[in-house]
Amino acid sequence: MDRSEMMGVFLAEAEELLQLLEMEILNLEQQGDAPHIIQNIFRIAHTLKGSSAAMGFEEMKQLTHEMENVLDQIRHQLLPVTQQVVDILFQCLDQLNRLKREIEQDGVTKTNIDSIVQQLRQLETEAEGNRESDSQLLEQKKQKAKKWICKVRLSDQCEMKLPRAHVVLQQLMKWGTVISSEPDLDSVSDETNLHEISYIVKTDADADDLRHALRQLMDVDEVEVVPFSTDSLTDAFLSLTDAHKEEEPEHPLPTQVRKEERKSGHTIRVDVEHLDSIMNLVGELVIDQTRIAQVGNLLRDRYAADETIDDLERISNHFSRIIGEIQESVMKTRMLPVERLFNRFPRMVRDLARSLNKDVDLLLEGKETELDRTVIEEISDPLLHLIRNAIDHGIEEVGVRKKRGKPLKGTIKIRAAQQENQVVLTVEDDGAGISAERVKESAIRKQLIAAQDAEKMSEQELIQLIFLPGFSTAQTVSDISGRGVGMDIVRNHIEKLNGLIDVQTRPGEGTKFTIKLPLTLAILRGLLIKLQETTFALPMNSVIEIVRISTKEIYSIKGQAVVKIRDKILPLIALHDLFRMPCGKRKTANVFIVVVGLADKRLGLVVDDLLGSQEIVVKSIGSYIGQVEGISGATILGDGSVALILDVTGLFKLAHNLRSSQSHVMDDVG
Amino acid sequence: MDVSQQDQYVVIELGTEKYALKLSEVYEIIKMQKITAVPNSKPFLEGVTNIRGKIVPIISLRKRFQLAEAPGMHKARIVVVNHHEEMIGIVVDGVKQVIQFSDIQPAAEIVSRVDSSYFQGVGQSEDGLIGILNLEHVLVG
Repeated sequence: MDRSEMMGVFLAEAEELLQLLEMEILNLEQQGDAPHIIQNIFRIAHTLKGSSAAMGFEEMKQLTHEMENVLDQIRHQLLPVTQQVVDILFQCLDQLNRLKREIEQDGVTKTNIDSIVQQLRQLETEAEGNRESDSQLLEQKKQKAKKWICKVRLSDQCEMKLPRAHVVLQQLMKWGTVISSEPDLDSVSDETNLHEISYIVKTDADADDLRHALRQLMDVDEVEVVPFSTDSLTDAFLSLTDAHKEEEPEHPLPTQVRKEERKSGHTIRVDVEHLDSIMNLVGELVIDQTRIAQVGNLLRDRYAADETIDDLERISNHFSRIIGEIQESVMKTRMLPVERLFNRFPRMVRDLARSLNKDVDLLLEGKETELDRTVIEEISDPLLHLIRNAIDHGIEEVGVRKKRGKPLKGTIKIRAAQQENQVVLTVEDDGAGISAERVKESAIRKQLIAAQDAEKMSEQELIQLIFLPGFSTAQTVSDISGRGVGMDIVRNHIEKLNGLIDVQTRPGEGTKFTIKLPLTLAILRGLLIKLQETTFALPMNSVIEIVRISTKEIYSIKGQAVVKIRDKILPLIALHDLFRMPCGKRKTANVFIVVVGLADKRLGLVVDDLLGSQEIVVKSIGSYIGQVEGISGATILGDGSVALILDVTGLFKLAHNLRSSQSHVMDDVG
Repeated sequence: MDVSQQDQYVVIELGTEKYALKLSEVYEIIKMQKITAVPNSKPFLEGVTNIRGKIVPIISLRKRFQLAEAPGMHKARIVVVNHHEEMIGIVVDGVKQVIQFSDIQPAAEIVSRVDSSYFQGVGQSEDGLIGILNLEHVLVG
């Protein structure tokens, strides 16, 4: 492995460790001094120290080393975990992140770490003081987390002694940390001689509690709980002296650690570019497969009786199945749990809530939901913005919450869940909600809508105005969300991903943003439609239904063509009009209408013909053409020609602009 | 105009007129193929086409120069050029040959009929004077 490869591995590892570190420090802040958290932080710092030393990054090594020293003092109860300690640990994290970025960009570190090291050393000195003078407090603390020897005798009737011994272990684990057991359960091969097991448990529970809990277990005959000290070592425990001596790398869960190791051996890191290029190649295969199938059909028409064509069809079908499977596997390899994204939120919420002097609980649900990595990358900014907004504008000041009789602590809930081939993300707060009245006033004041139009709008429609460019309800511009990034940018981001965003709000109760996204951007199911001789593809997930109706059923209301489908009046637009294409005379009295939906809006699109639906590989039309309203990309069809992919959001905009101008839907009736 | 006289040029036809493109700017020349129109886009954009799995925008030089559509397009070709790392096709009536110019003069003084910014110079050859296209301006400006 050469240095650049090692560098890649180092950076990837550092990235992971720093994310973990952030999580653990947050845990520490929330749960306070828990030995396993300190242990985890210690371990992360230790690993980072080792790898940065190996790569020769002196600052990182030094900083992690100093962190280790402080953590060690905490571990030995010489230093309490105060807010100050947590803050300093966060600063260390920020500093390490900065160092990592510098290494990533320039290969060398520039950041000065003297001040943070100074702070760490100061903590150490405090701890030293504790060691010498405050031995009483120390004693007290030591008392708090006690170590017990729990001796358990299994009944002779017990049939499966080893599993039973593990059950006891699990039970004890609920109370604290099991440092060791005698005999070591992992190395027991013959369980027939397993009668008595002694566990060393570190916990702040009383002996009575433990005794009681253990007596409840099946097959346990006798229980003895005695305080652990070097004196209490009986012959049976002689082997445990080692465990006591190097209690540092406490293995809280020996079995679990082993499991994780085994798992990591079965995964490899792959450069994202490789995956992208495989994905592209698979896309080509999908297109070629469609072409082969089409050629097969042509040949079938031409040489109906030829047996070779049976073969061709068989091969073609097999091909298409295999390509389908490859496509699915490749897509899966590109999927990541949203956890990756969610991990960024707790720290941000904490910092933001603190700076705004608000108290906020963050609930994350559905971390395991998987999304294509490009989607995860693209959705990150909009989500961050929504969360920022929720804390800044949504959650009220503590005083206000008290007055309204709400829990003083605000809650922000972020959920991810998969629904068929979509992912639904929600950002929900229990804050002040959005006032439709204020939105209206603001929109009129900013001349985003005319006053008389606003009067006609429903509450839900008024709330939707927050997505207009140039809109902001913030009375005062804070440095957090008053940075000129509005909800319109959020919506644009999401629409670029072929997603939808919707907002529900109740004044005084809170606001909920719902985002729906496709699982992947690369391939989608498209409905192929025809206008004149041109084929377009419409993403299936925005198609609500397809109907064929007689032109007699089309009515005109104030110049707008409408149709009644299932008792609902639906505005109709001819796609030809949106794209300024000529609309030829219709041969039949019936027209095809594709009903598309965007949030709660519905629109009927008049098309010339429907060609059916198929998987389409999404390709960009490139930056030269740039953004075209109503078109999100292109795909290559079976015959090698290009079909444009329609973008429903853009179609709604075009339809809106067209509203007043003349429509062709009515022209060709009769 | 600092153009090396050793440079080779591709001569293209538009009706009776001839223009030249620097050979180094030309990626490939392909026969006319099916082009899908992109509605609501640049007026001189002919559409997009598929070149070996890539979506390539195609512009029409006739439309760019605001000339009427050509009657028979059997000789029509697509000259594919590289523009800011992107392939772009230019539809022309025909492609003649590759030549070198003995002399290149600044365009502004000679050309007046079409917007002179489309040209970066006028080259002198055995076939007479040929306008050398300024690709950047033809495509964008």
